[in-house]
Amino acid sequence: MKRILLACSAGMSTSLLVSKMEESAKERGIDAEIWAVAQDKAPEDMKRADVLLIGPQMRFMKKKFSVTANEVGIPLDVIDPVSYGRIDGKAVLDKALELIGE
Amino acid sequence: MNKFMEVLENVLMPIADKLNNNRYLTALRNGFMVALPLIIFGSIFVVIANLPFLDKVLSESALESYKNALDPASAATLSIMGLFVIIGIGYKMVEQRGGESIYGGVVAIGALLVLTPQVLDGTGGVIPTSAIGAQGMFLGIFSAFIAAELYQYFVNKKLTIKMPAGVPDAVSRSFSALIPIAFTLTIFLVIRIIFSYTPFDTVQNFIYTIIQEPLTVLGSGLPATIVAVLLIQIFWFFGLHGQIIINSVLDPIWFTLNDQNLAAYQAGEELPNIVTKQFIDTFIVGIGGSGMTLAVLIAIFVVAKSRQNRELGKLGIGSGIFNVNEPVIFGLPIIMNPMVVIPWLLAPVVVAIVTYFAMATGFAPRPAGVIVPWTTPALISGFLATGNNIMGSVMQLINMAIVFVIWVPFIKVIDKQYYESEKNAA
Repeated sequence: MKRILLACSAGMSTSLLVSKMEESAKERGIDAEIWAVAQDKAPEDMKRADVLLIGPQMRFMKKKFSVTANEVGIPLDVIDPVSYGRIDGKAVLDKALELIGE
Repeated sequence: MNKFMEVLENVLMPIADKLNNNRYLTALRNGFMVALPLIIFGSIFVVIANLPFLDKVLSESALESYKNALDPASAATLSIMGLFVIIGIGYKMVEQRGGESIYGGVVAIGALLVLTPQVLDGTGGVIPTSAIGAQGMFLGIFSAFIAAELYQYFVNKKLTIKMPAGVPDAVSRSFSALIPIAFTLTIFLVIRIIFSYTPFDTVQNFIYTIIQEPLTVLGSGLPATIVAVLLIQIFWFFGLHGQIIINSVLDPIWFTLNDQNLAAYQAGEELPNIVTKQFIDTFIVGIGGSGMTLAVLIAIFVVAKSRQNRELGKLGIGSGIFNVNEPVIFGLPIIMNPMVVIPWLLAPVVVAIVTYFAMATGFAPRPAGVIVPWTTPALISGFLATGNNIMGSVMQLINMAIVFVIWVPFIKVIDKQYYESEKNAA
């Protein structure tokens, strides 16, 4: 079970991506829980996630989230703007899996 | 050009980082989030109380009692939104520090009430709603910051009453907040007493005259609004969430202006302000999101031939109707794209100016102080924000047309490039 957390300002635009990523995971038979939250909820939810991906428009939050990510021991990164614009669920899922390291 | 972009990005990133991660601004933003459900609740009832056809079906006295029956809904929430914002700020401030957050909330509101003259027109034993409404919000925000900091400072200093061993834990915890709160509120009482010997008489009066009045006058003007709108667009151009960054600074001013309009609207008086929270949210941003990209999508549907743009249109329109526009911003792309920098920066400024003068001359109605959720689709939001006035929707339609006209030539150029390269690739 892969638990992938996405964060942006209100969790709106990342939730567009969530459904596309879920589709892609289903196609490939990957068991994944993917969800999106607003930035202020991210540190709390990171405790039960395997990886955090940040919407590129909130990339200035990376430094702050890194602190919590280190504490709970999960990787994090900013989603590539091109994949974000295309709502490319497959590419972002690949990125998440790569970060988890499997 | 690339070099220039790099330099600008290096300037903007730290600003975004500072503004967004500043402790006070974070607490302020989250404090507004706490109050938002109540603000929306009150707004819904302002809308229901002022439905446009009612004066035609109801008699004057029936309409009067209908309004009187619904009035408490907004009077208890929207009109005193400062109360909820301040509790939220105090709570979030202490929460950030890992303290017992509920005490942060109560000490914040307690501090404001200590500073508030509890007398109105000679009648004692009252808390004027203006003190916890828009007029008191500035003082409330500052006192919430200071009270929460002082409370946490005294807690960290371990200035708590030590209970002997054997006293149940729950009992000693009930005392743990006592000294920090008592010290904090004492300081506020001293502040109040000191101010009573100044010409300002009250702290309220001091903050209002020295800070709030000048800031709201500045914020309600067109020049400051254009600067704010431009900054939002510039941040977004670099792919940074301009809205969230600029709003955390300007929301207190915009909400204050909004509440002044609400009070006038409910009293049936002329609305004092043009620029308010809803002026920005409904007429500048709320037409597909920052940069009014719904009109950009329409331009794409009308003129674009390339597969890439057609795809983008389909991808962006669903969320675009609800003012979520990241697909357009990152997909067109708008970020770092020199081809779109002119319409991206120009269109919202033109729209701001046109809307401002349309409202100043009375062509379009001013925002009535109702808070409309930012995901409300354009045309509906314009109607609601102006107190159920169809001309609010018309104004949004005009703004869409302006953005459309400004963008069309640029979309044509971009689309031609995409189309050519797709043809060559095929």
